[in-house]
Amino acid sequence: MDITELIRLTLSMGLPCCLLALGVFLTFRILDFADMTAEGSLLIGGAACALMITKNVPPLIATFVGMLAGGVCGFITGFLNRVLKIPKLLSGIITMTASGSIALLLFGLANGRIFASEINGIDNSKTIFGFLDPKIFHGWQQVMVVAVIVAIVLAVAYFFFGTEYGMAIRATGINEKMAKSQGINTTVTTIICVSISNALIGLAGALIAQIDSGMNAQGATGYLVVGLASILIGETLFGKRSFKNALISISLGSILYFAIIMLATQVFKMPTDLTKLLYAFLIALALCLPMIKQAILKLWARISPPIKRFFKKLFVRKKKKEAE
Amino acid sequence: MLELKNVTKTFNLTGNKEDLRVALDHVNLQIESGEFVTIIGSNGSGKSTTMNILTGVLKPDSGQVLLNNVDITKMDEHQRAAYFGHVFQDPMMGTCGEMSVIENLEIAYRRGRKHSPFLWGFRKSHKKEFIRELKRFDLGLEDRLNQKVGVMSGGQRQALTLLMATMRNKPTHKTVKKDYITFCEKDHEVARKEFESVYKPALAEYKANKSSIRKDKSLSFKEKREALAKAYDEFDKKIRQFDLTKQILLLDEHTAALDPKTAKKVLELTDKIVKENQMTTLMITHNMKDALTYGNRLIMFHTGHIIFDVRGEEKAKLTVEDLLKKFDEADQKAIEM
Repeated sequence: MDITELIRLTLSMGLPCCLLALGVFLTFRILDFADMTAEGSLLIGGAACALMITKNVPPLIATFVGMLAGGVCGFITGFLNRVLKIPKLLSGIITMTASGSIALLLFGLANGRIFASEINGIDNSKTIFGFLDPKIFHGWQQVMVVAVIVAIVLAVAYFFFGTEYGMAIRATGINEKMAKSQGINTTVTTIICVSISNALIGLAGALIAQIDSGMNAQGATGYLVVGLASILIGETLFGKRSFKNALISISLGSILYFAIIMLATQVFKMPTDLTKLLYAFLIALALCLPMIKQAILKLWARISPPIKRFFKKLFVRKKKKEAE
Repeated sequence: MLELKNVTKTFNLTGNKEDLRVALDHVNLQIESGEFVTIIGSNGSGKSTTMNILTGVLKPDSGQVLLNNVDITKMDEHQRAAYFGHVFQDPMMGTCGEMSVIENLEIAYRRGRKHSPFLWGFRKSHKKEFIRELKRFDLGLEDRLNQKVGVMSGGQRQALTLLMATMRNKPTHKTVKKDYITFCEKDHEVARKEFESVYKPALAEYKANKSSIRKDKSLSFKEKREALAKAYDEFDKKIRQFDLTKQILLLDEHTAALDPKTAKKVLELTDKIVKENQMTTLMITHNMKDALTYGNRLIMFHTGHIIFDVRGEEKAKLTVEDLLKKFDEADQKAIEM
């Protein structure tokens, strides 16, 4: 397979998932909120966007609506957790379950049939990438547009979490008791952060729907795990020293994740029935990566002194020869 | 002035009627501004509950919490945060471990203020102030502003929490006005008129001063700047006399988790800060000696009642033996009943 085509496929899958991973990161890491809404908001975001586009709404507005729909899912989860005091995990699951039905309803409407889970194909010229001619860019138009969106989102996220309010949100996640005693309204900060997170996931869903030209009822299954794996891979390989560092790590992590999958499925021609096994293996690997990293560092600490000594000796001998 | 009026609080964790535990039983307490109160009492006597009711972590079953004669019982914890600085027993509780020293301080600096989603969280001017404040602590924290708080020792974290609880940026003139109108004992309309009768001429005078200094050509740039700052300080002082919301510092066994040497240092620091800022302070402690050394009023709790309350000279004469005797008496009374 052509290497440029492989890169293109990886990026067109990996870049939207950067947004997904970023959304999961905001709740999972910053807010310490195990948010199960992700798959629901991805589905709803994609479904809303697909529906809008089939109804000939301008793609920019359709994408924005997808993002908003995801945000509403997040708001509901936050509301359930904070105002109705339902445990975090359960409130996410409730929204996710509800969103399944709502998405079905949306798809059904788009097909002219209610409660049908069939997908609705989208014409490429109607999508957000439509303004770039696919004949000239050969599929790269998707990568370019999504890359720009990801860059903007990363920049805004970096700025937002450095502002006064962003700092309040981070404090809420780290130490809620302290945040409250410092006059931060933790109810509002939590709801806002969960909403933002799910809005990003909704945006990811909208972009995925437009890249895959449609979305079906099963289209979002497994994406929460993709997001988590991206975060874990990124953080262990590229570090999480600061917020900026973490943002970049996650984006690289999700691209790397899809690179591995593409390599397995496209280059090594892994049969499709084995892909689920590959996913599971990758996630297990991502989870134990910190341990592997430490083991390697330990091993290196043991091996490196003799090696360094050896090179030192060589160097000293050379110098002596030169001196002579 | 801080006041608890007939406050009752019962805990019922299991939902079983027999497990009802009365933490506070119709407690009345008045604390004048500027008092340094030490609170002692055995475990479960209601000391911490009192403090949590003051800050709003817990809501009383009945009774009122009054601040400058305004009922704040229904205010949430984050709304009251502007008036209370709280230091917890656990050193990990009062700071964010995964944030740097400067981030923690920035959050504390905005206590009780709105957090803007558009303004960058760090200011150069704040940094200078933080360094100045931290230098007084003499813990070497001023060189470690960008270090994560999580790697620091318990004593350092507690000292930082203490600074965060006592430091808060000066309320703006607008806030001063709002607080004066809500918290002064007069009618709201009267209070507003009173504030404005001072504010308006002061502002006009300041503006006139400012323009005259700017126009004065005999002054150098530096002298002009100094004169302007002085004029502003004068103006500011006139407004500050209305600043009712003197900070109240609540210390909940804040040295219990520290080693004796660090504990002593933190306590001395506390005393210094309280004396400098003339803060109203409530300190819970299990160390009778500390309870007698520091503060000018002592309160003893027992099974949800205040059984002993001394101030001033009377307190100065007390010894540890006296306090222990009081404890024994209280226990015996409880048995007899």
